[in-house]
Amino acid sequence: MLARSYYQYKQFHDQDGIIFSFSGFISEGILFALGDVLKKQLTSEAADPNKIKRVFSVFVELMQNIIRYSAECIGNIEDVSDKLGWGIVIVGFQDEQFYVSCGNIVSEEKATRLRKHLETLQELGKEELRSYYRGELKEKTENLDKGSNLGLIEIARRSSAPIEFDFLGLDANKVFYCIKSYI
Amino acid sequence: MENIVIQPSERTPEVNFDFVSGRLSIRGEAYPENVSTFFGPVLAALHTYLQTKPDHDVIMDIEMEYFNSSSAKALMNIFQLMDEAVEAGVQAVVRWHYNKDDDIMQEFGEDFSEDLRFLSFEMVEID
Repeated sequence: MLARSYYQYKQFHDQDGIIFSFSGFISEGILFALGDVLKKQLTSEAADPNKIKRVFSVFVELMQNIIRYSAECIGNIEDVSDKLGWGIVIVGFQDEQFYVSCGNIVSEEKATRLRKHLETLQELGKEELRSYYRGELKEKTENLDKGSNLGLIEIARRSSAPIEFDFLGLDANKVFYCIKSYI
Repeated sequence: MENIVIQPSERTPEVNFDFVSGRLSIRGEAYPENVSTFFGPVLAALHTYLQTKPDHDVIMDIEMEYFNSSSAKALMNIFQLMDEAVEAGVQAVVRWHYNKDDDIMQEFGEDFSEDLRFLSFEMVEID
C-alpha cells in the first residue's frame, strides 16, 4: 500500500511535468537551496539562459511572498531573514512552457488587496507593465524588507501569459490563495 | 572616510567603493536574505561620502546578473542619492554594464535611468 500510494504521488508529479514541489515552512535558507537546485537542473538541461533567469526570478519573488505574507508563520516575524512561512511551491514544465505556482493562506484583508492588484496586472500589456514597474520603482520606501508592489509586477513582466490566480475562503479571516505563472 | 570592500557571496554582490579615487562598483547577483542589512550600510556610506561634495569625478560601475525586486529598490535608492549629488554640483556618472544577450538587464538599465534628472547614466553593452 505504501509503495502504491507514493507511486501515485509520483505519477501525479510526472503528469503535471513537475520539476520539484515543496510544501512546508519556507525560510530564506530553503529559498536559496531550492533556487540553487532549480538553476543547476535547468542549466544541465541546456535551457535558454534568459529563460532560466526568468523562471528563477519568478521563483524568488513567489518564495519571498510566502515568507513575508503567509498567515501560517513561525520564527521571528519581525525579521524576514529569520522568519518561516508555510506554503506550497511547484516548478514544472508543461506544453513547452515552464511554470511556477504557489499556494498559501493569507488574511482576508491581504487577499482583498492581492486580488485587486492581480486583476489590475491581468489587464496590462508588456509596455504598460513596464511603466507601472517604473512608477513603483521611484516611490520612496522606508523599509526595504517590507516588500512592495514590485514583486508581483516583476512576476507579471517575466511571465509569458497573464498570471493565473484563485482564492478559496476558509473562514471569516482566512483565505487560501494560489498563483501560477507561465514562463 | 573608510572605503567599502565587500566580497561577493552566493546571493550578494561584490561592492567596492573607493572613496579616495571616486571609483565605485557593484557587481554580481543580489537577492539577500535581508535587503536592508546588506544595502543599508552601503547606502549610508554613499550618502555620507556624497555629502562631503567630493571634488573629483565619481564613477560608479554597475554590472548585475540578477537582482530581486527588493534589491531593485535599493539600487534605485543608490541612483537617487547620486542624482541628488549631481544636482548639488558633484560630477558623477553611472555606467550600467549588461551582456548584449541579456534583455532583462538592458531593460532594467533603461528603467532606472528614466527617472534620473541630473545624473548621467550610460548603458555599456558587453560582448
